[in-house]
Amino acid sequence: MSVTRSFKATDLFKFNHINLDLWTETYAISFYLSYLSRWPDMCAIQETPQGRMMGYVIGKAEGAGPERHGHVTALSVAPEYRRLGVSRKFMAWLEKVSDENYRGSFVDLYVRCVNFAAITMYEGLGYSVYRRVREYYSNLGLGHSVRDEEDGFDMRKPLPRDPMRRSVRSNGRDIVVSANEVP
Amino acid sequence: MDRQIRPIYEALDTNSNKSAILACNKVLKKHPNNLLVKALKALALVRSQKVEEALILCDEVLASKPADEATLAAMMHVLRGLGRHMDMVTMYDDAYKQQPANEELGTQTFFANARIGNWKAAQQIATKMHKQFQDEHYLYWNIMSALLQAKDPNTPEALRTVLLKLAQRLISQSPTPSYYSADRFHLHVTVLKELGMYDEAYELIEGEAGQIICSQFLMCEELRREIWKLKGLTKEAGERAEQRILEAKDRNWLEFLAVLDATFVDLTVDGADVEAAKNTCAERITRTREFFGKVVEQDGVRDRSGHLALLELEKRSRQHGLATDSSALTSLLESYFQHFGGKACCFEDLKPYIELEGDDLATWTSVLEKQTAQVTSVPDLWRFINAQKLLRYNLTDSQLTPEAETQRAVRCLDAYLEGLQLGKDLPSYELQPADDLAILAAQTFVNIWKRTGDQAPLYNAAALLEYAITKSKMSYQIRLHLIRIYRLLGAPSLALEHYRGINVKQVQNDTLSHFLLSRASTFSLAATGDITYTSECMEASRIYVSNSEETSEFIVRAFGGEKYSQIPDFILFEECLDNSLQRDLIKMEHVRMRIAHEAINSELVDMELIELKFIFDRLHHDNRDFSILANYQPRSEASFNEQTESLEKTPGFGWLWVFLKIYIKAFQLASDLDDTVEDKLLIGDRPKPSNDPETKLPLKERLAMRKQEEINELSSDEAAYYDYASALSEWLTPYHDYARPPPSVVLAEAAKLTEQKTGHTLKGLEFLPDAATNGNGKKDEEPPAVVEPPASISKHFDDVLQRFKEVLEGNVLPFELLHVVTLAQEAFLLFAIETTRFKTASVLKQNKFGGLSQHIKDIRTKSTTVVNEISSALLSRAESEATQESRRAVVEACKPIVHESGLDHDFVLNVAKKITDARKQVYDGIGKGMAKLAKTHA
Repeated sequence: MSVTRSFKATDLFKFNHINLDLWTETYAISFYLSYLSRWPDMCAIQETPQGRMMGYVIGKAEGAGPERHGHVTALSVAPEYRRLGVSRKFMAWLEKVSDENYRGSFVDLYVRCVNFAAITMYEGLGYSVYRRVREYYSNLGLGHSVRDEEDGFDMRKPLPRDPMRRSVRSNGRDIVVSANEVP
Repeated sequence: MDRQIRPIYEALDTNSNKSAILACNKVLKKHPNNLLVKALKALALVRSQKVEEALILCDEVLASKPADEATLAAMMHVLRGLGRHMDMVTMYDDAYKQQPANEELGTQTFFANARIGNWKAAQQIATKMHKQFQDEHYLYWNIMSALLQAKDPNTPEALRTVLLKLAQRLISQSPTPSYYSADRFHLHVTVLKELGMYDEAYELIEGEAGQIICSQFLMCEELRREIWKLKGLTKEAGERAEQRILEAKDRNWLEFLAVLDATFVDLTVDGADVEAAKNTCAERITRTREFFGKVVEQDGVRDRSGHLALLELEKRSRQHGLATDSSALTSLLESYFQHFGGKACCFEDLKPYIELEGDDLATWTSVLEKQTAQVTSVPDLWRFINAQKLLRYNLTDSQLTPEAETQRAVRCLDAYLEGLQLGKDLPSYELQPADDLAILAAQTFVNIWKRTGDQAPLYNAAALLEYAITKSKMSYQIRLHLIRIYRLLGAPSLALEHYRGINVKQVQNDTLSHFLLSRASTFSLAATGDITYTSECMEASRIYVSNSEETSEFIVRAFGGEKYSQIPDFILFEECLDNSLQRDLIKMEHVRMRIAHEAINSELVDMELIELKFIFDRLHHDNRDFSILANYQPRSEASFNEQTESLEKTPGFGWLWVFLKIYIKAFQLASDLDDTVEDKLLIGDRPKPSNDPETKLPLKERLAMRKQEEINELSSDEAAYYDYASALSEWLTPYHDYARPPPSVVLAEAAKLTEQKTGHTLKGLEFLPDAATNGNGKKDEEPPAVVEPPASISKHFDDVLQRFKEVLEGNVLPFELLHVVTLAQEAFLLFAIETTRFKTASVLKQNKFGGLSQHIKDIRTKSTTVVNEISSALLSRAESEATQESRRAVVEACKPIVHESGLDHDFVLNVAKKITDARKQVYDGIGKGMAKLAKTHA
């Protein structure tokens, strides 16, 4: 339960409790505005009945032909609003937009290989690892192996336009590419 | 030629500005009039901060009215770097006039106007472009510009409707319907909405295409809801919402609100038969209750909407006197707690519904008290935490005795330590599920301090939070609490350490830096050369520069990509950040630190004067985030944020205004710049003053205004300082005004300096008719007679000393002690700023101010003595700070929280050491700094 509404530029003044989190990056203003100025329909927030932001999602559409897809650039939910289905709602919404507004075949996202909670959640929503991307992230110094901490998984979920599930594969965790091979 | 220019671009691209300048010089030797190379050189100069030289080239290029795209593009960067947006508009305007068939130039001219919010001109250009190039998106640029002009506060009321009607007419001229693009559609509906044409707007959104767009685009769906509301379709919205909830299983809270609004709609109709309305409404309530009941049945614990909607229904029924079952609210609360007590958000969800009294409160309390601290799972733990928060919310004054509060705090702390077991296997970077119990305990201790004035509970709070942060390293909440407490306890270095631990970035600097920088001059050791806090001010302010450099670019991009729905928000965002209250509060603190650190000369005085005057014309937005700080204090008490704000007075608009007045006035006196001189020396555009009618009044009048609501934001010591500052400047104004050299002399001096620096004369200053008089020109008027200074000036220093002695002896917070001390130092510095001019013997002699000099000397002697006395008392206090005894006192105070292991004696002793060391450092630094300043300005 929440209010879902479009992400506005002025929401940048109100997302501190979401962004002060290990896994969430606060980017330059230009990052958010460049998404809002191109894919405003792929950026949304959910807020409580009292108007407090619970989380947000920022996405984009990219690729052409069968590669046309929606991409989740950032999704974050404040700790106090986790385990309430907020992310599930965001993902379902973004899948709908990727399908209806952009005619995408799948939705994909990147996640740190050590962000186990997020990986489990995405798997629960029907996403699977498509490939492992070397050194996609900076090191957080959490004490995992350097490789696991800096590598990311590219996870995907096919949309109705891909009934044959061509956009995913079962052995994705074994396919390793370097960061400059991905968009 | 290309071959010669390429290396210049390459150098610029890699930010090698020096080699770019060299490369330009090489080409300019052979082709001294090449505009592009001149423009590129100007760019390299701007980037290397050589503003004066850049200006000369820049003006040369502009004067020859460039029209080729490469030169224009280079100049665009130059002008942006110099903040000369007006010139950019003129430049593109001229170029476009030369080549009216050049579409790219037209676009750039439009963008140049859009960047500075010049919508009238933008609209005219779009009209012209649409006529000439026939592309539909120019038509929409035209429409958007008309809408923005209509919404601009500078646009006269009568013109607004004309503009909106124009926009509407233009849309109807579009060959393709607006619904071909969501953003055009959004713009179309918005124009109709602004015109109050709700029926037409409704038709559009409920048309076949409109419905699809609204289902696919959130921003259009939001507009749809708004139109329904404006049309008064509450009942229909309720029916639609019921359908959505039932059939589409939509759990958007807005749908539930729509059902609720529809339930009570009859009561809001004016002039209706009240009794009849109540009857229908009562029936509706029953029906709605059943409806939400069904949702609850279906959803169970999967979703909170139905449960919360029932609570809201009961609350509204009570408000309208239509509640039938007096126990309904408490049983709903109990049920909600049973279902969702295990979720972190339960307290926040229920807060609007628990302002209970009497029997209701007793029933509710007994439900919560049943929760035990014996927990075996995380949801269990949350149930206990939520129960404690909910219970605490309703505590009354009589229940808040220090004994009862201490007991509560200790119980929360014990439960916290117990609860750590549940998270013992979590990786070190995860948050502990029990964290909120530590925060509850800390807030309870803070409340005891607030109610008794005893500082011991603050040490308890600090020590237990220090322990909690070792267990939950990523908890920003614990760190924010520590920052607030350490500031109160006079341990700024520890506050800074935790602030850095939060890793505030980018735009967060605007919303969160107040935690560190509010009244930061209280902690600044700038006088001793330690510029830690000064640099923090600079660091936090960088975001404002990138905002003014970057944000307008996205307004332009949104036009380019036809994302009209985003433009008003981008504009608002840019404005909120540009005119951020926090920005200028930081600026003010920076000025207060700077005058203690640097020599008070014309460079400092003139620059700050100009900047502060700009700020004085702004209408500020407060973007500071206070809500991030959790509040678990009883509703009868002030919030944790209010309790721990320094001196309980949060600097706001009024505070800023007072300090601006103080310093603008002081710098005006000290400066030789008057308005004519300032205009000549200004480089960038003068910012547009806000629409506040007050900005239209003469500056002198505005500076003299004293408003009670502004003074209310000051601490009593700040208010006294304001009075002193006003008296001081009032006394000295006539002498400064008389002795200040005439503008021509000041300009001649500035021109001389520029020429020395750049080898060129300053623009517009080549002919100065009376510069030759060299400032010795006979004045027409007689000098003002020297009068005695008002007694209040000298008395201020007596009062300050008296006040210092009180706080030094008394049981006040270290923050307050430092506040009194640093304001004393500030009063001393303000005196120095306003009397420097009269230190020069020739000024005194020429103006026959011999008598004045004696008065100044008297006050200076008095103030120096006071500052020295405070300094030495503070230094000896510093000595007694970091001793074994002082540490033992802190440990002793922490008795209630010391445990056998973990949070044990050694841990607390270590915290005590850190606090006392930090305090010693700041007392010592400020004491030494004052002694140094007393010497410098003696």
